[in-house]
Amino acid sequence: MSMRRDFIVGLVLIALCATLPLFIGMRYFVTQATLFFIWGIVVLQWNLVLGVGGIFSLAQMALFAVGAYATAMFGYYFQMPMVLAMPLAALLTVVVSTLVGLACLRLKGPYVALLTLAVAQVLYLLIVNDTECFTNPPSGCMPLFGGVRGFTRFGDLGFRDLFGSKWYIADYYVGLGLLALAAAFSIAIIRGPMGLAFQALRDNPGCAMARGVSRFKYQLWVFALSAFFTGLAGSFYAVHFAAVGPTAFSFSTLLFLLSMIVVGGMGTLWGPLLGALLLMGADEAMREFGDWRDIGLGLLLAGFVILLPKGVLGSLQALVQKLRAKA
Amino acid sequence: MSEEIKKPNVIPSRRHFLKGAAALGTGAAVLAGINDGARADGDPIPVGQAAPLTDFAAADGVEFRNGLTLACEEINALGGILGRPLEPYFEDTKQMGDPTNVQAAQRLIDRHSVHALINGYNIGSGAAIQDPVADAGIIYVHYDTTIGHNNLIKSNPDRYFGSFQGDPAEYWYGPGFLKFLQQLEENGQFKRANNKMAVILSAGVYAANIANAIKEKGADYGWEISLFETVNVPISEWGPTLAKIRQDPPAVIAVTHFLPADLAQFMVQFVPNPTQSLIYMQYGPSIPAFRDIAKEASVGVLYATVVGALQDEIGSAFEKRYKAKFGENAGHNSGAQPYDGAYVWATAAALAGGTGEPGNEEQNRKVASRMRSLIYRGVTGTTRFMADEQAAYTYPTQVNDSSLGMPHQFLQIQDQSKSGGLIAPAPYGTEGFKLPPWIKG
Repeated sequence: MSMRRDFIVGLVLIALCATLPLFIGMRYFVTQATLFFIWGIVVLQWNLVLGVGGIFSLAQMALFAVGAYATAMFGYYFQMPMVLAMPLAALLTVVVSTLVGLACLRLKGPYVALLTLAVAQVLYLLIVNDTECFTNPPSGCMPLFGGVRGFTRFGDLGFRDLFGSKWYIADYYVGLGLLALAAAFSIAIIRGPMGLAFQALRDNPGCAMARGVSRFKYQLWVFALSAFFTGLAGSFYAVHFAAVGPTAFSFSTLLFLLSMIVVGGMGTLWGPLLGALLLMGADEAMREFGDWRDIGLGLLLAGFVILLPKGVLGSLQALVQKLRAKA
Repeated sequence: MSEEIKKPNVIPSRRHFLKGAAALGTGAAVLAGINDGARADGDPIPVGQAAPLTDFAAADGVEFRNGLTLACEEINALGGILGRPLEPYFEDTKQMGDPTNVQAAQRLIDRHSVHALINGYNIGSGAAIQDPVADAGIIYVHYDTTIGHNNLIKSNPDRYFGSFQGDPAEYWYGPGFLKFLQQLEENGQFKRANNKMAVILSAGVYAANIANAIKEKGADYGWEISLFETVNVPISEWGPTLAKIRQDPPAVIAVTHFLPADLAQFMVQFVPNPTQSLIYMQYGPSIPAFRDIAKEASVGVLYATVVGALQDEIGSAFEKRYKAKFGENAGHNSGAQPYDGAYVWATAAALAGGTGEPGNEEQNRKVASRMRSLIYRGVTGTTRFMADEQAAYTYPTQVNDSSLGMPHQFLQIQDQSKSGGLIAPAPYGTEGFKLPPWIKG
């Protein structure tokens, strides 16, 4: 599919999403859709790292948390407006990601996974074990990184003052806008020279490297750049929920998001978004089943891995190619 | 998750209602009276609870769910709220923390349009759920036991009109403990060997706030804080801390760290070579695991709670009903919190002419106003809110009339095979204080 066609598909999807609150104004739907946009941004960027760049990174939720924490701390300690704090937090995430990339990307496969997971765990432990009082607000001892309690009341985008109880609709459009930017970035990477370089490295690494395509350089680029939107998603998550804490590092959320990529189709452009839609829908449908919900999600994931290892979109693409070849 | 609440099949007479309600507590009788014999068959009122139903605090979370379920069933049998039955919905807050707690509360509001949130506790700042509640203009009752709530409400009472802490803040554990010691001394039950008190805490808002309160107010009661030590937890090796205590023995040791296993280890290592000190510990001794680990070393330990079912007529009747429904091992003390919270809200709503859905701030402001002026006698004692902080008064530290504040209960383990006996405050105590076995009278 060409870059132009991808952009058109993207624009149509965004236009559809932009009109949805006009038809389905139910608050629950709108807020769930906003959460979908946030996870959508994360999985699109993670897919670039994992599915396109071939980096088995498990640091994505840590980068997401860096964006969220940086935003909260800018607001809490410096009273910085969130409009400024969000892009700054995203840039800080890029810096952190570059440092993590420099440390990890000379390794391969499971070693990258282990090291990136270790980095995430170190960040998590540093935060929850940070128990020394940095400030002493009326609510009690506040460690520098918020400790186990995290941060609240660090500012918002001003929509509560502007739109009153309908502020969440404004948040919906901010989320949609950020997802649109993240998707455009994703298209540019996959369909651009960087995508071709990764394709060459995957299809014939010897030839590609002989032609001067450096795996380390390209992997570092994609790892660092994708972190901008991952950090921005974390930042928006913190602002939207007006709270951030160590649960941002949650391993179960990390696995849930990884499952979205696997179910949708790793390495495909729109697969992760489709996976996010399917798994969030399944999660919602099984919410009433208590403990069976986790088992159900596990079975669903296992079913996809066994029956559709390329994910929904990857399998569809393979089927279309097969039919075309036959024709 | 929705719970099916059975409606009463027969409309009992008003006299029967009042007779039954009196056994539940005076507030229930008020509610039955306002309902005037109506049957709860109108449109259901959705009521939500965000509780840790899975993960490390699930034992308490399940009891919170049970407490609200039982309250809804009983309230519905009394005619609901002006003829409208309550329909509870639950969301899991898992490991808790502000973002998770806020999301769970937001889901209950968005998905089920709950008119009120009636929680137990959720660990976090205790001052985060109040924001989605304020945005939706509904009522929120919780038992987070945190001074953060009080300060938040004081900072903007108009915005947070609907948020109530059903129990006193953790801060009151400090002054309450000092007052308790004073009463022991006045009654001649304990004589301090010196004026020294050792305070041992762990990092974290809860333990630190209580320890700081003891430190801050200790001098008013003639105490000198001879040791103020923060320990890294979990901790099983108490040697260095005990060495400091033995080097300069205090008359009282107050441990505000709260994990039962850690506290039990403290006692196991303290008792073989004890100092002549009273020992008070926070929360942990109320958990059976403390006695299981410490065994005979647990006997004599003091602990307290600012919210728990009383061992009186109303509290014991509640315990019986609760255990009959949820099993002999059910923890009625945790369930008592949302149970009383639900009654307080339902009674106030009935007095205010009904509940309000999200967005109906006008009606919910009427409900909140009734809650602020209500004096409710439930299974945990009296719930009466401070008007400017919307948290329950504590008795006897804040008020000296037991009918105007929630009793700050002091318990002592006197038999390792049983949970602690309630020794204070009067008139609720059922056991007398005994000097711990390691103190030579």
